[in-house]
This record gives sequence, structure tokens and C-alpha cells, in this order.
Amino acid sequence: MSDLGEAIMPEGTLCNKNPIQTEEALKTLLSDTSGKKYYEEMKSIDIDSRLLWDTIHKTFHSRMRTWLEICAHCGLCADSCFFYRIHNRDPKQVPAYKIQSTLGEIIRRKGKVDNKFMWMAMETAWAKCTCCNRCGLYCPHGIDMGVMFSYLRGLLYQQGFVPWELKIGAGMHRVYHAQMDVTDEDFVETFKWMAEEYQEDYPGLTIPIDKVGADIMYTVNAREVKHYPEALAEAAILFHLAGENWTIPSSGWEQTSLAMFAGDWEACKMQVEHVYAAMERLRPKRMVGTECGHAHRATVVEGPYWAGRKDGRPPVESLHYVEWLAEALRTGKLKIDPSKRIKERTTLQDSCNYIRNHGLKEITREIIGYIVEPGYFVDMAPNRDHNHCCGGGGGLNGIGIFREQRNKALITKRDQIIKTGATLVLAPCHNCWDAIRDIEKEYRIGIRWSLLRPLLIDLVEIPEHLKLNE
Amino acid sequence: MYNFLTGPGLWLSIGICLIGLLVRGVRYVKGLNWQLDRVAYTAHPKAGIKGAVRSIVFWLLPFGTRSWRAQPFMAVLFYTFHIGVICIPLFLEAHQMILQEKVGLSFAFLNQNLADILSWGVIISAVFLLLRRFALPEVRILTTKHDYIVLFLSVAPFITGLICRYELGNYSFWLPAHIISGEMLLIAVPFTKLSHILLFFMSRAQLGMDFGIKRGGMKGKGLTW
Repeated sequence: MSDLGEAIMPEGTLCNKNPIQTEEALKTLLSDTSGKKYYEEMKSIDIDSRLLWDTIHKTFHSRMRTWLEICAHCGLCADSCFFYRIHNRDPKQVPAYKIQSTLGEIIRRKGKVDNKFMWMAMETAWAKCTCCNRCGLYCPHGIDMGVMFSYLRGLLYQQGFVPWELKIGAGMHRVYHAQMDVTDEDFVETFKWMAEEYQEDYPGLTIPIDKVGADIMYTVNAREVKHYPEALAEAAILFHLAGENWTIPSSGWEQTSLAMFAGDWEACKMQVEHVYAAMERLRPKRMVGTECGHAHRATVVEGPYWAGRKDGRPPVESLHYVEWLAEALRTGKLKIDPSKRIKERTTLQDSCNYIRNHGLKEITREIIGYIVEPGYFVDMAPNRDHNHCCGGGGGLNGIGIFREQRNKALITKRDQIIKTGATLVLAPCHNCWDAIRDIEKEYRIGIRWSLLRPLLIDLVEIPEHLKLNE
Repeated sequence: MYNFLTGPGLWLSIGICLIGLLVRGVRYVKGLNWQLDRVAYTAHPKAGIKGAVRSIVFWLLPFGTRSWRAQPFMAVLFYTFHIGVICIPLFLEAHQMILQEKVGLSFAFLNQNLADILSWGVIISAVFLLLRRFALPEVRILTTKHDYIVLFLSVAPFITGLICRYELGNYSFWLPAHIISGEMLLIAVPFTKLSHILLFFMSRAQLGMDFGIKRGGMKGKGLTW
């Protein structure tokens, strides 16, 4: 009997070490519903230990090496992790254990790990850590396991061990420069269409495209174009009412990066350089991004480093939407009708990506001060820098095979929300917004949830000169 | 034997410890990479220094961080242990006498009562740190042989030191045993997790710079540790 049938297949046709580079490859992978064949192939792909060890040699230096080495094994990180807490304090969910048993083990074995190990590492890296970086705040040695998990994701991606949806997501960025199959034409057309839809209500509403030297260049999340075009309209209306001199780039408008979640470092660089090229081309005074956490992190916080910018900053000053909004309210560009302020018990989700990891905790609360009637806002506990992840961060929201783990991961946020007694949850982050929507879907706790823009549209006063002449 | 231990043996172990730490420190800094670490270390020195200092100071203060406040029992053990293991070797009167004899200078020393309290503090907290490793599943799963060896190396000079202090057993055995255990500890520092004597500060400073420069330090009031 031939033993060919038992020979390990080095690469699958769908699951392999090659990134998605063409529309055709993307469509082929997409047609494999839920990644059935993809995961089947993953069970037998080989590990290129030499490549793995070589990559580690080139990229794993003193910061992470020291982290793994001096970890005192004290367990103080355990309680900081929401996965650990909701899994009945399972020691296998202690952040230090999770990283030591995956990345630490790869280092100890000098990259000589097998297929089964890589599966375990993949589940740990995507379904047991959302890279929220909270544990880094609880370790006496300053060991940030979220940083190491995103590094581990890169190693796993390179070997083909990445969840199907994220392989597709990274491929989308490579093919479309967007996280979904949205072309530049789709983007411009959708934005224009939205402006037309609302021109009757907001006379003079236009979408300035590729205007050079504007005060603001606005960037978005492709899903707004594909699934939530209203979000584009709302942004345009608020810029219009605030009297901003703004523009959108016809190319380089996508702020998000599923490549970051996937660990596709090369695509991260390609994507962010595409946005920076738009900044260089249009030379706006500032860039303002949409209400998205990871998009901000990708383009504003981490992006400069992928693009090799030594000052760690994008080519022009770049703001999260909440920064622009707070400024517009502070300076009176946007005015809230006091009688319309929110009079409903309200809480706020602090997005890990721009609160803990970009210091905007006071900015979001400043906005609350303008839009919520005093006495109606209740903070979650813990909050600000120490807030918990929504439960779906780091890409976990979108990974089919880890859906069960994700649904369980929502419990922390669910309970935090319940304790506030709030019926309205403000979630100025697309990813948190999704997770909180799913909390309601899965657990029915009687809440509504919202980004800021749709609420603002109803709360702002329309300046006299922009009012509809009736 | 005694002469060797308090002469060349002492200098050798101190030398290995200090030079070893220096090498580790230099290698740590040389191994930092602004692009791979994604921290523009040198581009924003003011924010970097502020972040580094905050990251160290808050963690040195007892109950200075949310993590310490969340684990008060561990915090008390941790500080009792570390205050003792730092103060006794440096400020014990008997150690100061050696310093006076060797280099002709000495500084303030601890009175005997305080020294006793600190030494017993080290022993007692070490026992609890050990029990913690057995008792708590989240610590047990992480614990390796290395952790026990390091704890033993750290506590041995205190056990032998207290035996000498109370003149239990044979002094001519326990004094050299005390010195040997102290010198073994010094030699082990650069090669084990004990290197955290220096690398704690490096690692804390690094993460502080990360938050200070890149992750919001220049945006608001700075991270609440």
C-alpha cells in the first residue's frame, strides 16, 4: 500500500503561507463557505521551522526577549484579563501562561513546533486574547502581553495559521486597499449619493473630493460605504453644519486595517502608506478619522512605524473623530440644543484602541458633558484606561470558528453595562458597537447602543444661514 | 577560607554582579529598535522621559498602582520582601563594618531592632510567596524550577545571616555559609531572573516610553497606572 496518502501536504490550495494577492484568489477563498476546506487543509500544512526561527532572529529583540525572560511568574496579570475572569479563573487563561505556552514555547523550541501546536497557538492568539493590552497595566515588570500576542499573530500568519476571515481581510487590503471589496469608485459614488439624498434637508450639502489644502481630510471604514452609508451622510452633515473646510480623498480613504488583526505586517505597511500618500497628495491641515478604534490605532498610532516614519507620526496631524467632535463642541462650531440633550441613563464604552492605547479618556467625557443631561451619565466600572475590552476586539468579532468563545467573551461587558443601569450605551468604535449589539442579541439586556454621529445629528442646532427655507 | 571569602571572593562576586548587570543593561538598550518596538524613543525625549519616570515611580510606591491596590496581600508581601532584601545587605551594621574595613568609608546603618524586623520580614514574606506558588492555581501553573531556585538563592543569605545573628549552632560554620550564600546570590544576579534588579527599571522605562510617546502620553494627562 502506498503511504502517499499519509504524506503531509506542505501547502493547501486555500490554506497556505502565501498572502492573497489577486482578486481571483480572493474570490476563490471567499467561495469556500465558512472556510470549511480552508480549515480542513490547515490540519495538514507543514511548518517551515527555518523560516519561523529566521523571522524570530530578525524581529524578536531585547524588549520582548526580556519580557519573556524576567516574567516573575507572579500571576498578578491573571485578574486583569477578562477571559480569565469569565472562564471561572481557569489558570490556562492567565495572560502570562498564554504567552509563555505559545510564543515562549516557540522560542524555547527554536521554532521546531508542529501542526497541532500551531493550531493551539492560533486559538490562543485570536480567541483567548483581543490584544486589548490591559494586562500590561497590571504587570510589575511592565510586560505587555497584548504586544507579544500581536507579534505572535505575525508569526502565525506567515506560516498560514490565521483564521479564514482574517486571511480574507488582509487579502482585501492587498487587492482593494480596503477591508472589503469596495473600490475607490464605489466610495466616491456612495458618498455623493448620500449627499444628494440629504441635500433637500441640508441645503448646500456637498462632498468636496480631492480638494487640495483643506483643513480636514476625512477617512472612513469601508463597511460604512458597503453597509452603513448613512454614516457617511452623518459625517458630511456634521462637517457641513460646523462650517468645516473639508475633503475626502478619492483614493486612500480607508482607515482600517484587518491586516493588523491578521498579523500581515506587509499588508499593514501597504495599507497605511496608501492613506499617507493621500495626505501627501492633498496636504490637508489635519486628518480626521471615523468613529473606529482599530482604524485609529492602525493609521495614527502604529501606522507611522509600519511606514518607517522616524518621528512616529503620520504625515499630517491625525485625529480620532471624538477629538474633532469635542473640539467642534468646545469652540462652538457645533452647538447642542439644550432641550434635546439625552435624558436617558447613559453609559460609555471606552475603546481599548484609543482610550488605553491613545489617551483620549477625557475627550470622550467632555463630549458627554455637552450631549447628556447632567445626572444621566453613569460610568462603567472599571473605566477609562482600565476599562475592559468589549469582548470582540482584535478581530475576534468576525471569526466564525471562534464564535462561541466570542459570545462568552461578551459577558464581562454585559455585566459592566447591567451594573450601570444604563439603557443607552455610547460606543464610538465600530468594533465595540458590533460587540454591544451582539450582547443585546445574545443576552437581551434591554439596551440600545449608538455611535456618536447619529445622536449628534438630532441634537445639534442648525445655524440660521444653513436652515431650510420653508 | 574566611580570608578568601571576604577578600578575593567578595570582590569577584561583586565584580561579576556589577559587570554582568552592566553588560545586560547595555545589551538591552542596544537591542531596542524604534521600528520593531514601534516606539520613537529619541524623537520625543521629553514625553519619553516623563513616561519612563511615571512608569517607574508609580510602581515603586506601595499601593501606587491599581494593580497593587487590587492585590493588597501580595503588595504587602512584595514590599516587605523587597525592602528587606535591599536594605539589609546595604545598611546592616556588620556589612558597613566590612565596607569601612575594605574601602575606608561607610554610611548610615540600621539599628539592630529595625534590622531584625526587616530580616524576619524577608523570611516570613518569602514563606508566603512560596506558599502562594503552591496554593494559587494561577501562580502554580506559571511556576518553574527556576522560580524556586531564585527564591532559595535570595533567602539563603537571610537564613544563614539570622543563624549567625542569634549565634545558633557553630559560628565558624555558619558565618562562611552566610558569606558563600551571599556571594552565590551576587554571582547569580546577571544570569537569572534576578537580573530584574536592573531590568525591572529598563523594562518599566521602556513601557513608560511606549505609553508616553506613542500610546497617548502626549494627548492627555498620561496613563493612570
